[in-house]
Amino acid sequence: FLGAGGGNDIQWCFSQVKGAVDDDVAEADIISTVEFNHSGELLATGDKGGRVVIFQQEQENKTQSHSRGEYNVYSTFQSHEPEFDYLKSLEIEEKINKIRWLPQKNAAQFLLSTNDKTIKLWKISERDKRPEGYNLKEEDGRYRDPTTVTTLRVPVFRPMDLMVEASPRRIFANAHTYHINSISINSDYETYLSADDLRINLWHLEITDRSFNIVDIKPANMEELTEVITAAEFHPNSCSTFVYSSSKGTIRLCDMRASALCDRHSKLFEEPEDPSNRSFFSEIISSISDVKFSHSGRYMMTRDYLSVKIWDLNMENRPVETYQVHEYLRSKLCSLYENDCIFDKFECCWNGSDRQVEFFSLIVMTGSYNNFFRMFDRNTKRDITLEASRENNKPRTVLKPRKVCASGKRKKDEISVDSLDFNKKILHTAWHPKENIIAVATTNNLYIFQDKMN
Amino acid sequence: MLGKGGKRKFDEHEDGLEGKVVSPTDGPSKVSYTLQRQTIFNISLMKLYNHRPLTEPSLQKTVLINNMLRRIQEELKQEGSLRPMFVAASQPADPLSDNFREAQPAFSHLASPPLLPTDFVSTMPLESCLTPASLLEDDTFCTSPAVQHEGPTKPPPPALQPVKDSFSSALDEIEELCPAPTSAEAVAAESAADDSKAQPSESNIHKPEGLPESRTAESKLMDPLPGNFEITASTGFLTDLTLDDILFADIDTSMYDFDPCTSATGAASKMAPVSADELLKTLAPYSSQPVTPNQPFKMDLTELDHIMEVLVGS
Repeated sequence: FLGAGGGNDIQWCFSQVKGAVDDDVAEADIISTVEFNHSGELLATGDKGGRVVIFQQEQENKTQSHSRGEYNVYSTFQSHEPEFDYLKSLEIEEKINKIRWLPQKNAAQFLLSTNDKTIKLWKISERDKRPEGYNLKEEDGRYRDPTTVTTLRVPVFRPMDLMVEASPRRIFANAHTYHINSISINSDYETYLSADDLRINLWHLEITDRSFNIVDIKPANMEELTEVITAAEFHPNSCSTFVYSSSKGTIRLCDMRASALCDRHSKLFEEPEDPSNRSFFSEIISSISDVKFSHSGRYMMTRDYLSVKIWDLNMENRPVETYQVHEYLRSKLCSLYENDCIFDKFECCWNGSDRQVEFFSLIVMTGSYNNFFRMFDRNTKRDITLEASRENNKPRTVLKPRKVCASGKRKKDEISVDSLDFNKKILHTAWHPKENIIAVATTNNLYIFQDKMN
Repeated sequence: MLGKGGKRKFDEHEDGLEGKVVSPTDGPSKVSYTLQRQTIFNISLMKLYNHRPLTEPSLQKTVLINNMLRRIQEELKQEGSLRPMFVAASQPADPLSDNFREAQPAFSHLASPPLLPTDFVSTMPLESCLTPASLLEDDTFCTSPAVQHEGPTKPPPPALQPVKDSFSSALDEIEELCPAPTSAEAVAAESAADDSKAQPSESNIHKPEGLPESRTAESKLMDPLPGNFEITASTGFLTDLTLDDILFADIDTSMYDFDPCTSATGAASKMAPVSADELLKTLAPYSSQPVTPNQPFKMDLTELDHIMEVLVGS
């Protein structure tokens, strides 16, 4: 039982919560993506209003060894604005679908953020000095009367209050007819892919007026369309390999060296349907909402509506492990279809690791309803359910495990399925790349949990 | 939206219906299977057509819902070809025609000119009820390129035939009109075939001056149908085709085809070439059961009306 103590089990404690307290959620504040940068020092969130908020971890205070640095707001900027497609008379949402950080090359930080149609490369840089002592300008910027200039001086840099600036460096637009669901930076750090419902494009980070189409599953006749692309990711080590998942529960692995248009997959991962579980909703719940490679790239993880599956890239006909996230929902699928919850796209993530070695891809985290999130330990096969809630959360108090009672007698402290709040869904979670710090997004709040250090 | 702890209104009767699929061949549980299927069908229709977003609807969601509808439709068609879903002789035709009366004005906004509900004077012999396709095929309105392209297996239009007394020949006709699909392409081709058959009435909607063949065909339903078993069987499917045209012919395809270069006259997307009366057909066999004979039927008619009203009223 993760968190139960003993051995190397992680005990999760509440650390911080960001966002508005009131229950009335402003639509623009709905968090739509969460992502740590490569060092873990920065944590970015995107929301439905098109804004990006970046938090920075405080440098560890050596005297306070009981907790790692807190995350505080570092930069906030408007990444995307709503647009109007005049041809179709429809709005293009400014909601940020995904954020992906580039590895840091110099003092500045770079990230890619995307909405349904346009990807932008943002540069986030610090400014803590400014030049003073211009000859022709006053300190406030007004121009001096040239006749009053009697001496020359050299302007010097003087320290100023830290200012963090975000500026868009590249805008990759007009390459997607359908809604972008994924972006993934290649291990060469020069190219990246963007995937929409029917196509995947390859970009060079420096070139905005051209992208190459590498996957196209649009049928000649749109009435024959029965399957869409739901997620795509580059392999962490092999710069010519990527995978994409579909609404029918399949994952295709493609090699860009095979041909310019990767319409023929190198591998097709698909688990045969379990006939005892067949229902009207079998296809819908098999639709994959997220795919993530493990650190070494030997495995990949997929999330469908009810489960998380771990696949060995060498075995296409079935996953090596399957974890049930909320199996108790299987008998409620009709209601969940009616209220659209069955279409919720849950993401999943691996634990962090400071080694790019398979041995360390041990724990899987994913969200559920009622502000619950789940973790699965691949080694011990134990799992835990935790809740992101402002109640009962004091810093450094270990989170209490939760349990949902599927049927029958409800034990004390258990929650019955019918009491679950399906409006409180955790779709986005992120794990610090090196430490046991996790960021969990509820509808409009961001929770940060750490393991209890001692 | 679900409130915390709120009971869903479907909960009570769904607990018994949800979860594992009941094989359609089981006896007593067949009703619950059919009821579940119908519920899901209703919900799916509402989702596709009730939604008027400011932004583009999610293509993934649309595709999944459409797949659901197609699957149910395929099941219904297969069941129809195996075991005819005819209205029992005792079943009054009036509820059917009543429903169609109401259905027409509900969709009048889709067609221009508005369809006249019950103003038809039917003088054509009953025989022509059996061969709607030939009437439709006679119409010379041109089909849109996309529709022609997608119909690789257009069934030949059935010739005008005298009223058949034998059930098997009626069945043959039904099969001719609606071949059992064996693959996704066949399903698409079938919808395409429906499309092409429906073409004249679809063109009707675009060209008001055309003779509304489909309407005349449909007007036959307004007449009190004889309790004749076979005829009602085939007219049921006939209605299927004609209502289809009116219901779905004018569907905005922008949900499917985002290419600005695509012709605006592109195929009317037959996203769900199953009309509401398919639901009625599925329920018809059960309406004559001793146990609550007419309740489920009436209840579903009400539901049907409700759906129509919602689809129009929104």
